[in-house]
Amino acid sequence: MRTFVLRRLLQLVPLLLAVIVLTFALLRAAPGDYVTTVAADPQVPTATLEAMRHRFGLDRPWPVQLGLYVRNLVLRFDLGESFSHHRPVAEVLRGAMLNTLLLALAGALLTWGLAVPLGAWAAARQGRAVDRSLSTLAFAGLAVPEVLSGLLLLMLAARTGWFPVGGMRSLDWDNLGPLARLADILWHLALPALVVALVPLAGRMRQMRSSLLDVLRLDYVTTARAKGLDERVVVLRHALRNALNPMITLFGYTLGSLLSGSLVAEIVFAWPGLGRVTYEALLARDQYLVAGSVLMATVVLVLGNLVADLLLAAADPRIRHA
Amino acid sequence: MPEARGAGPVGRRSLAALVAGQLWRTPPALAGGVLLVVLYLFAALAPFLAPYPPAEMDRARFYHPPQALHWRGEDGRFRLRPFVYATAPGPGVFEYREDRSRSMPVRFLVRGARHRLLGLVPTDRHLLGVDAPARVNLLGTDPAGRDVLSRLLFGARVSLSVGLVGIAISFALGLLLGGAAGYFGGWVDALLMRSSELLLCIPGLYLIMALRTLFPAELPSGQVYLAIVAILALLGWAGLARVIRGMVLSIRQADYVTAAEALGMSRLRVIVRHVLPNTLSFVIVAATLAVPGYILGEVVLSFLGVGIQEPDASWGNMLQQARSLTVLTDFPWLLYAPGTAIFVTVMAFNFLGDGLRDALDPRRTGGEGRA
Amino acid sequence: MTRGPQAVWWGFAAGLALSAAAGGVAAQPLRTPMAETGVFGGRFVIGALSDAKTFNPILSNETSSSEVSDRLFTALTETDNLTRRNRPALATSWEVSRDGRVWTWHLRRGARFSDGHPITAADVLFSFAVAYDSTLHPSIYDLLSPHGRRIQVSAPDSYTVVMRLARPHALLVHAVGSLRILPKHVLEPVWRAGRFASSYGVGTHPDSLVTSGPWRLKQYVPHEKTVLTRNPFWFGVDARGRRLPYLDELVFAVVPDQTTCALRFEAGELDALDNVKAEDYRRFERGQPRGGYVVHRLGASLTSNFMWFNLNTVKRAGGRRPVGTPYADPVRHAWFSNRDFRRAVSMAVDREAIIRSVYFGEGAKSWSILTPGYGPFHDPAVTAPDHDPAGARRLLARLGFRDRDGDGVLEDARGNPVRFTLKTNAGSVRVQMANFVRDDLARVGIQCHVAAVDYNTLIVNMREDFDYDAILAGLGGAVPPDPAMCGNFYRSSGATHFWNVRQPRPETRAEARVDSLFDRLLLPGTLAARRALSSRIDRILNEECWLVWLPVMKVELPVRDRFGNVAPNLLPHRVLWNIETVFVKPRGRGAGR
Repeated sequence: MRTFVLRRLLQLVPLLLAVIVLTFALLRAAPGDYVTTVAADPQVPTATLEAMRHRFGLDRPWPVQLGLYVRNLVLRFDLGESFSHHRPVAEVLRGAMLNTLLLALAGALLTWGLAVPLGAWAAARQGRAVDRSLSTLAFAGLAVPEVLSGLLLLMLAARTGWFPVGGMRSLDWDNLGPLARLADILWHLALPALVVALVPLAGRMRQMRSSLLDVLRLDYVTTARAKGLDERVVVLRHALRNALNPMITLFGYTLGSLLSGSLVAEIVFAWPGLGRVTYEALLARDQYLVAGSVLMATVVLVLGNLVADLLLAAADPRIRHA
Repeated sequence: MPEARGAGPVGRRSLAALVAGQLWRTPPALAGGVLLVVLYLFAALAPFLAPYPPAEMDRARFYHPPQALHWRGEDGRFRLRPFVYATAPGPGVFEYREDRSRSMPVRFLVRGARHRLLGLVPTDRHLLGVDAPARVNLLGTDPAGRDVLSRLLFGARVSLSVGLVGIAISFALGLLLGGAAGYFGGWVDALLMRSSELLLCIPGLYLIMALRTLFPAELPSGQVYLAIVAILALLGWAGLARVIRGMVLSIRQADYVTAAEALGMSRLRVIVRHVLPNTLSFVIVAATLAVPGYILGEVVLSFLGVGIQEPDASWGNMLQQARSLTVLTDFPWLLYAPGTAIFVTVMAFNFLGDGLRDALDPRRTGGEGRA
Repeated sequence: MTRGPQAVWWGFAAGLALSAAAGGVAAQPLRTPMAETGVFGGRFVIGALSDAKTFNPILSNETSSSEVSDRLFTALTETDNLTRRNRPALATSWEVSRDGRVWTWHLRRGARFSDGHPITAADVLFSFAVAYDSTLHPSIYDLLSPHGRRIQVSAPDSYTVVMRLARPHALLVHAVGSLRILPKHVLEPVWRAGRFASSYGVGTHPDSLVTSGPWRLKQYVPHEKTVLTRNPFWFGVDARGRRLPYLDELVFAVVPDQTTCALRFEAGELDALDNVKAEDYRRFERGQPRGGYVVHRLGASLTSNFMWFNLNTVKRAGGRRPVGTPYADPVRHAWFSNRDFRRAVSMAVDREAIIRSVYFGEGAKSWSILTPGYGPFHDPAVTAPDHDPAGARRLLARLGFRDRDGDGVLEDARGNPVRFTLKTNAGSVRVQMANFVRDDLARVGIQCHVAAVDYNTLIVNMREDFDYDAILAGLGGAVPPDPAMCGNFYRSSGATHFWNVRQPRPETRAEARVDSLFDRLLLPGTLAARRALSSRIDRILNEECWLVWLPVMKVELPVRDRFGNVAPNLLPHRVLWNIETVFVKPRGRGAGR
């Protein structure tokens, strides 16, 4: 097991290198660089632009820029400076990453917290009205684009005052006590997390449903029923635990995609997360910030997949890792 | 061979029959399927069904509300030919009132802009319209006085084709590469899986923004977008390939595959003839469920300003135009049209996909046993 | 702008003794002009689409940073947005020699940084030294180099600064007023160590960010908010001699999406918006009575919109193509070079339709980069060919453009169909405008393909590779709104002389005339004389029709009515320019919520 984990972590190194090279190549493919975005302002003199290019090293050939970046990364774990933020990339990413993780985890918990019981309920009432209406509802959640559901929820918030109109904290957050701070963040988290949760909900619910249906057809369940056990006991006590196994693996894979997938919610709800930072960095051609963000996403993805594989192995002893 | 066929799950013909039979018994799936056929027909016939070209502006009718079809005249008598009332601007900005004294009969197969029916037959007939120079906007007009119905129909061509192109490419690749990885294992597997991880790590949005700049500006943005989707799909096989690989890994252990190998079948043949068909049910379902992803993806890209650009219409850019407080309160039809279209299409794909899943699930059809 | 009123400009505050300055010199607080004397306390929250990227006023490249750093750092003079005149800030007064080349500035005594350290001439000299740092080459370098030469700055004593110019310049006071004064005692070691570029970034601890302006940093939360609080040492006072600002806090709340930002304002979480879509004007106006806010109508924006054709030619020898080769397709270049073709295009455009549709009627025609918002420099008599499709068709026919094959598209004399691509930046209101232009041109037989491209690509196209036929873009307002600030645009050598940039010498006689007129515009003169010069320049441009002018937006901004002294204005910052005098009205005086 240990060698397996070590090997996977070692494989991360060439992967990261490849990701960096690809990112840089893509950056080169589009015309212009960070300084171009500054050049949009006619009041900025050409000499200023050249001074900036020189200061940021953008006047060097890009293989050299790439080489220096990789060297600093390997030797000093240095992700470079963000041009537009005038600060180290690591600093810019740190806070944004935590915020995104918070939003994504809340979304994931909401998704799974709804999907597992609802999916189980649907399975237990297979083919009946409950089953049908639950799946219809879940599909409906999927069929409203986040862009739109976000706006409608915000309008609701603005009309009723039940929820704040975007943001992560109230302006007075710093003056609040620890419990009130937590409550404040949760209050702000509710709507964006709901929007993030709605998209994968239908899929997870259907997976839970079919997973439980599979188990319910197994011999031991039939035996339990034959023994005259209450159907509720059969489902809750015996079937559910086994049906959850494949879901746990799936949850592992969800961990890998935590950093991506909440961009729309972050923009619409003014959530200070990584998606927004990366998107703005892309627009500004802030290359080391983009590269740093892609690197972080890669690390999280690989770790998430690793966790998923470990969970799979733990849940199903038949699967062994070569 | 005989063993293989016998032990493997359902053959192709019986599969189709089973699916059809099962779908017939699942009304929502059937409805979804029928609806999709209709929607794709609408898209294909868009130039004929749309009363006007999608970019044609009517300078006198910015933000014109939808015009209702009437069958009953002012006199209360029923008319066989539906009609709409003429409208005149006023009293406020972008307000229009119906002129009940002037009714305009809706005519069928009217002459209008020239187009090629299904890209083949040149004609200037359109399904319906009113006598020129008056115009009819059954779903209203947008800020530039363009007919929303026409834009919706033309937008359907982009929004609906994007998903098909996308899954066609990514699933073909995903099946082949995932199948190869799972079947051959060893270094092939390692190489393919590591490259799939690499591809999964490249943010698609970034790729789109970089790729967009590489196409000549003269190309219509609809074509640019299709090309980008094709490229994305070329790179997008990774996720599917990983799933297929897992399935193939388990199928490979199955007796009938071992038997085929023992009979000396070439590996490619084994993959194509025996291993892949067993993933078919999963693939069909996954593909049906993946199409909405592309449709919704286009909405997100339009939101970020990198989707299909005006004057070309897409459901995404129509929705983006409607994403405004004033539109929501004053001109809601701009939201209803693309919103409903997206909702209905995504629901249809989901019901169909869900129905197919049940239909293709060997456990539900009973008897065949588990692969 | 004229020499008369500003040559000697004494502050009101000379007699006000607020606190004794160090060394026993009487302090000279600045009595800040304001409509109403206010009360202390409260908070003002403004929505910002993007957050500050640095607090370093010399190096900020984006408005989201400068709108914060302008509140943090003062200058020798500042602009009164209402009168558009310079008024004293750190300098109490200044005088200029008869030949206009020697300027003497008298600094305010008792002025202090936010850490209590006195502000003296040494800090002014230091700020100039940083601005003239050639390795940094900040944007302000060129602004502080009238006629291309640096100003010789010296300080005979701690409270006097003398500036010597090679030639007099019209905008010297404005230029000096845009140089923010930095604390030498904090930043000089950093600068000497070569670390100035990363100093005073957003990561700076609020206590070590020493400011010279009315505000200092209280808190910065990335992508969420920037909170400023009052600088206890700020030298500005109200009529009763009490130190400003009135407000306890000024908050920039970051809301990246415009629609969300508007909703947040409606929900009462924001006190002002700086950026409203024209389509939402009506909505805000309707909501005024119960919303507790006032919509301020500021008139036509300073941002101009126009399109131009690519007349750029290869300027540098040694490339693939010889000098003088046009970048555009030769056939199209021939059309674009023809003044009548450009006029026909201008006559095809229905600007009223654009105003109605794109701006909801809240737009204005403008025939110069000096939009109506430029006030005294806007000359209503300057016009260009307006909507006249029949006239456009006649002009095109005279050029030999006819529809020879009956497909609705004109062909030129050689049978080439008349079509070109119009590029503009994706995701902006300009795409809508471009689509109107496309439709208008189709009506006179010109086929125009609209290509909405990424902003960066567009900038590269217009400034570096010239890979385009025509571009629809615009220019943000100059600060100060003076034509002399627009040299990069008017001069044939300018980098934003869009239709043919960076000409080594003017390629046309008209451009040569513009260049020489513009040189005169840079010299001090009366407002009337300088306005006459800029009108002449604009007339030449429009005679040639190098630019096809498009309408500009009228600006409306909502601000909560519980604040006093709010006076939004077109000049930046539209809302916050006088924020140190803004106060929360005591209940009963306003329609408090």
